[in-house]
Amino acid sequence: MKLQHLLRKEIYEGKKSLLIYSLTIFLVLFFQEMLGSIVTTWNGGLNITSWYDSNYPGFLFLGGFILTSVFFSTDMFNKSGQHNWLMLPASSGEKFLAKALITSIGYPLALTALFFVSSAVIETLAKLTTGDSMFLFNPFTKEIGWMLLHYVVTQSVFLLGATFFRKTHFMKTVLSLGLIALAASLVASVFARIVFAPYFTGLFQIVDVHFDAMMDISEGWLKTYSVLGQTIYWALLAPFCWAVAYLRVKEVQSTDAIQ
Amino acid sequence: MIRMQNIHFQYGRRQLFAGLNLEIPQGNIYGLLGMNGAGKTTLLKLLSGQLFPTMGTTTVFGYDPTKRNPAMLEEVFHLPEEFSLPRMRASEYLKIQSPFYPRFDKEAFDRYCIDFDLDLTQRINEYSFGQKKKLLLSFGLASGTSLLILDEPTNGLDIPSKSQFRRTVASAMTENRTFIISTHQVRDMENLIDPIIILHSGRVVFHNSLEAVSEQYTSRLERNEPEGETVVFKEKVPGGWNVMCERSANEEETQIDLETLFNAVVSKPEAFAHTSAKGSQGGVK
Repeated sequence: MKLQHLLRKEIYEGKKSLLIYSLTIFLVLFFQEMLGSIVTTWNGGLNITSWYDSNYPGFLFLGGFILTSVFFSTDMFNKSGQHNWLMLPASSGEKFLAKALITSIGYPLALTALFFVSSAVIETLAKLTTGDSMFLFNPFTKEIGWMLLHYVVTQSVFLLGATFFRKTHFMKTVLSLGLIALAASLVASVFARIVFAPYFTGLFQIVDVHFDAMMDISEGWLKTYSVLGQTIYWALLAPFCWAVAYLRVKEVQSTDAIQ
Repeated sequence: MIRMQNIHFQYGRRQLFAGLNLEIPQGNIYGLLGMNGAGKTTLLKLLSGQLFPTMGTTTVFGYDPTKRNPAMLEEVFHLPEEFSLPRMRASEYLKIQSPFYPRFDKEAFDRYCIDFDLDLTQRINEYSFGQKKKLLLSFGLASGTSLLILDEPTNGLDIPSKSQFRRTVASAMTENRTFIISTHQVRDMENLIDPIIILHSGRVVFHNSLEAVSEQYTSRLERNEPEGETVVFKEKVPGGWNVMCERSANEEETQIDLETLFNAVVSKPEAFAHTSAKGSQGGVK
């Protein structure tokens, strides 16, 4: 029940921004599709380009990551805004869950619905004005399904960044990911140097490269590491980030707030 | 109802409280007084679970405030000195905020809003700071919480609103409710706050009712500088001297001037330690 009140509160407080964002997406799609439709009709051809599929990942991932990054900002780290959230009679878990659900489940679902509805409106208008063929956004494809699953996993990292950093959450999360990637590639390099030692003549010089032979030797290893990597990505990454983010929410206090 | 034991708290390296103790029983309008930087706001934030002490325990209605248990938060309304409100109509704010308080009284809220001359159809961002404060006050009083923590509630209120504030708080007071009002504006709170808690140098140097003080002391304005052992405090003011003296057995009780009491306690905390119901409570090492 509290969760329901919290969700309603979050949506109510952010409804103006939500409307502006939705309208922006609609207008971006509208101008791209209508322009494409007009140009191809003018040239006497058929419009075979759908902008929906190419725009969707950008709005889903980049838009979702930015939204997630700023979603905790006022309530956790703003000096005057923090008070209301901390004193609201709901548990830290409920407060965290409301925000996590909106950004990880609510946002992609709403975005997908918005893309579908926008495509229906825009394509109807295009059909009526230029006679162009209908090109509806299909939310039920395998690609969209995979994208949504990847979004839930990768978004959790930004959820953690949003609760962990006190300001410029998005940039700091991206920078941290860059540093982690750099460190991981260094480790991988050292690892490769050790595993494929017979193929190295100098410190990092490889001669007589036979990747097939190398892969044969390492196939078992690589498979193991691939399974390990996928397990970490699909099963552990999101729960880990959610758990750490929740603990951060639980321990936030007035001294974490900045002007 | 509220118990703070051996509270230690510091901002960075600056120690604010070192072993502070405080007990606040239910059913009064407590006035929390102290100089700038004495730690009044920090103390209130420790009570409401917005700050965690480095050492010591606090219980509010039996709950540890640092856990921010919803059952405790349903019983505590804290109006801070600085606040922000969402950009929406006051009526919408009420709709999303009131379900969190099970004993919220909508009729009382409407009554307080009328008393404070608030238009609920207006957008909150169009309100002045004072009007926003009055909206939060109305909400807090109608919330049905057992503990109301008000930090500098009369700051930003116009003169008629200050007296309206006193009337409204007095009318909202019940035996099950406790108010803790932190203020510098002692004149705004006269005849409202009692008992008084004075925080100084990181400790509670005074914690008693005005009745108990007036049994022991008198305060008055004298034309000439007073002398004698019975004088515990004197200060030059326009038109004479503000004096606080020990009351002799045959002397009539007088109403204690809050400002004089505060100045007296802060200038000689040790002289008033014995008057505090709980004695001198804690201090910075």
